[in-house]
Amino acid sequence: MNTTSRTALRPQPRQAPAAANPYAGQHRRRLLRADLLTVVAWASVAAAVALWLADGGASGFATAAGAFTAAGIVAGLAGMDLVLLMLLLAARLPVIDATVGHDRALQFHRKLGKPSLYLLLAHGVLLAIGYGLAEGLNPVSEAVSLWVLVPDMWLAFVSLALFVAVVVTSLAAVRRRFPYEFWYGVHLLTYAAVLTSLPHQFSVGGLFAAGTWQRWYWLAACIATGAALLHYRVLEPLVATFRHGLRVSRVVAAGHCAVSIEMTGRHVDELAGSGGRFFIWRFLTPGQWWHPHPFSLSAEPVQMDADGGGRLRITVRNLGRGSASLARLRTGTRVAVEGPYGVFSTAARSRRHVVMVGAGIGITPIRALLERTPFAPGDATVILRGHDSSGLYLADEILDLCQRRGAALFHLTGRRPPGVDTWQPEAEARAGYRLASYAPRLADADVYVCGPAGWARNVLDDARRAGVREEQLHYERFDW
Amino acid sequence: MRIRAAVSATLASAGILLAGWQSGAHVAGTASAAGSTAGTTGIAGGSVSSGSAGSAGSAGSAGSAGSAGAAGSAAKAGGTFVGDVVQTRFGPVQVQITVSGGTISDVTALQLTDDGGRSVQISNYAAPLLRAEVLQAQSANVQTIGGATVTSDAYLTSLQAALDAAHL
Repeated sequence: MNTTSRTALRPQPRQAPAAANPYAGQHRRRLLRADLLTVVAWASVAAAVALWLADGGASGFATAAGAFTAAGIVAGLAGMDLVLLMLLLAARLPVIDATVGHDRALQFHRKLGKPSLYLLLAHGVLLAIGYGLAEGLNPVSEAVSLWVLVPDMWLAFVSLALFVAVVVTSLAAVRRRFPYEFWYGVHLLTYAAVLTSLPHQFSVGGLFAAGTWQRWYWLAACIATGAALLHYRVLEPLVATFRHGLRVSRVVAAGHCAVSIEMTGRHVDELAGSGGRFFIWRFLTPGQWWHPHPFSLSAEPVQMDADGGGRLRITVRNLGRGSASLARLRTGTRVAVEGPYGVFSTAARSRRHVVMVGAGIGITPIRALLERTPFAPGDATVILRGHDSSGLYLADEILDLCQRRGAALFHLTGRRPPGVDTWQPEAEARAGYRLASYAPRLADADVYVCGPAGWARNVLDDARRAGVREEQLHYERFDW
Repeated sequence: MRIRAAVSATLASAGILLAGWQSGAHVAGTASAAGSTAGTTGIAGGSVSSGSAGSAGSAGSAGSAGSAGAAGSAAKAGGTFVGDVVQTRFGPVQVQITVSGGTISDVTALQLTDDGGRSVQISNYAAPLLRAEVLQAQSANVQTIGGATVTSDAYLTSLQAALDAAHL
């Protein structure tokens, strides 16, 4: 009604509404949030050092011993701050997840790993030198004397060793050599590392002495981080699991090496609208309950009764050992769920036009997104990539959705040309097609890409060459 | 947008650091004023102790607690004399001396910096050395212990008060 009255007032042709970008505001707010988070992260490091300065720390630089000690304290404070930031990045905080997405958050988490370890190592070494100089001991005997004489210091040494173990096992080269479970087990030691590092900070360090507000600041920071982890990584998943009470109802073949797992549960309507966001699933059988599977819904939940009882579906390919055993899931198996996570959804839209590119099992989040994200007929392009047509998962459903919603659909099948880095099959690559050949409005579109890492990199490069800006690219890693 | 984030992050961090640094300088200034408090005996060098407590781990300042009993007249009797309680940022320090025949026969630390395990470590390491030096020099005019400046200064200040009380 509003529209009609307006058109009556202003008799111009209605091209303005069509050209307007309904996602401009959402996009601007998301960028602002991202910038704010960046500022908060840096400011927290500055605050760690500033609190030390406020305690008169800078006066320590007057002597050589004092300078080493001061540098060691600063390194320890900055290192501790980075460790807390890393924990928060992995805590699945909604504000972080909705701003940069789960995988980007984990990417930052990984980036901070080595710097924080170096700072903590420097903390130990510099203080051993500084205290040693002051007492006329060499750094090694000083370290031994700290270990033996000062209460809680042996815990700090244990903590440092644990941090080394956690970071070393997470280095890409090392991580590849061991199964996921080994890495995961060692990574859990992070909590032990942080907990064992706490006593010496509060009992040995003069900076955190009782009654100082530095002590309260750090106490609050540690408690807040712990609470966030407990709430978002333990409590919320437990609540969601009990609330939805999901059970496997059917496992059906869905193309080459893939199965669709259907589940029934309560309040499934609350899980609707996640688009291509993913959930973490755990199938509660004796051999599998501890193995988390990140999958997005491959279809919007179907509500069957008024209470929200209904059915939902994920589609899984036999990728690793874990996924292979999913094909043998028994009907009635209980399922724990957490999520949804990530920004592979309408929340990341910045433009009116949208291009969705999926390969292999990465097609399933594309299908969920296609079903949900708003676009006018003609504004969307869907490109599916597989070795052959049996690798185009859910192709029938996607064709149906494209027809109903007015999206252009391309099926690209066949092998890559040998020795050429391209995301397309041989014939298309030789013909000189680019991403823009399929989606002429590419430069002014959101581009969602989901598939194997190497392939996705090629798609993203192609898009960048066509003038797509970084903030228009939405890519979710599915192979960590 | 990345530029906006980088610029604001830099400005915010710089501002926070500056504020910290400024209030740090402020703390160093006020600490000296709030240095010592009354002890058991009324006399004692408030000014002396304040100077040493304020230095907060910095420069050696060995002879700050100088003045060495000297002019002390009578009362060469024996007994124990308790020095002032000297407050430091790592906790209070107070020593007691035992005098017999006009000489210091023993020095006992009633309270030592104990705020945090590191302070305890420093105290445990510095106290015996200070005691030995004092017994040898028979005055508070001794070297501070490296790495334990705050503890040493407070120790010697309290000691001086005790010496004054004993008129040594």
